Amino acid sequence: MHDNIIDRSKDITILELLDRVLNKGVILTGDIVISVADIDLVYVGVKLMLSSVETMEQLKSGKSLVEK
Amino acid sequence: MDKMIYSILAVKNNPEKLKTLLSGMKGIAGTDLYEVYFDQIYAVVSDINKTDLINDKSNAIQYAGVIEILAQQFTLLPMRFGSLMESTDLITKMLERNHHEFHQNLQKVENKYEFGLKVFCDSEKLKAELRARSEADNKTPAKAISEIKNSMYKNYMIKKLKEHRLEELLLTYVDSVIADITGYLTRLNAVNKFKKMATETTIIDAVFLLDKERKDALIHTFGDLQNQYTRLKFVLTGPWPPYNFVEITIK
Repeated sequence: MHDNIIDRSKDITILELLDRVLNKGVILTGDIVISVADIDLVYVGVKLMLSSVETMEQLKSGKSLVEK
Repeated sequence: MDKMIYSILAVKNNPEKLKTLLSGMKGIAGTDLYEVYFDQIYAVVSDINKTDLINDKSNAIQYAGVIEILAQQFTLLPMRFGSLMESTDLITKMLERNHHEFHQNLQKVENKYEFGLKVFCDSEKLKAELRARSEADNKTPAKAISEIKNSMYKNYMIKKLKEHRLEELLLTYVDSVIADITGYLTRLNAVNKFKKMATETTIIDAVFLLDKERKDALIHTFGDLQNQYTRLKFVLTGPWPPYNFVEITIK
């Protein structure tokens, strides 16, 4: 009866998935260069999490991220 | 050739099961997957040329897809996309150096799912409602304002006070929703992380970690909450591998 609370829309799922795989998880120290190009984030009529937008903008500018 | 690391796994018995699973999968750019291990901690890896690595959406999604499939069979810690090391020797040393932290983190997430929740509102409507409530309570303006003689300045101060009051009411409202959610989650023994007012319309952005067998109870809980808070939109996603509950930076 409450199964419709789980969002199964593809766009939101991709958004959530990209946010996790790009921003979260285990961080590897050392000489990591991540330059992300051509990532089209899908807007579903809602605003993105700010951290994802900030990360995206930073990466699109071609900066290399060296994790401490 | 560099090594792309997808995730760190606990493989207690039957490492052949992992080997068999990996033999039927592909990594990004169609690369073969294989394991590198130390003790019972395994890294799932594929070979990749840094120059060939196109960091675009489809590769990131494919990378996450590998993690999703592995998570269905094993307890794991997902790596962030773009985790590269130069050789399997270095990976083995890394696993050895961080063995204790990996083990601790894997224990923490064993047999658990992550879920994400976003709560959206029509911020203009919500503010209008809170404003109406506030004016009905007649809590503004303060006595000191009425003593200011200059009417333009006085009007400005009244406006600023009302805006500040509205922000306070909004935060109080969000806190009450979070308190409600937390109350339910305590019964489910879920670990939770909340972010308030991530955007104008995203009043709550949260993640939860809970036992797999409580998944249906969680869905039911948020169904009830959605029915209770009809002017908010609850969007629950999951289950996910535990991206938000891995607290480790590898040495």
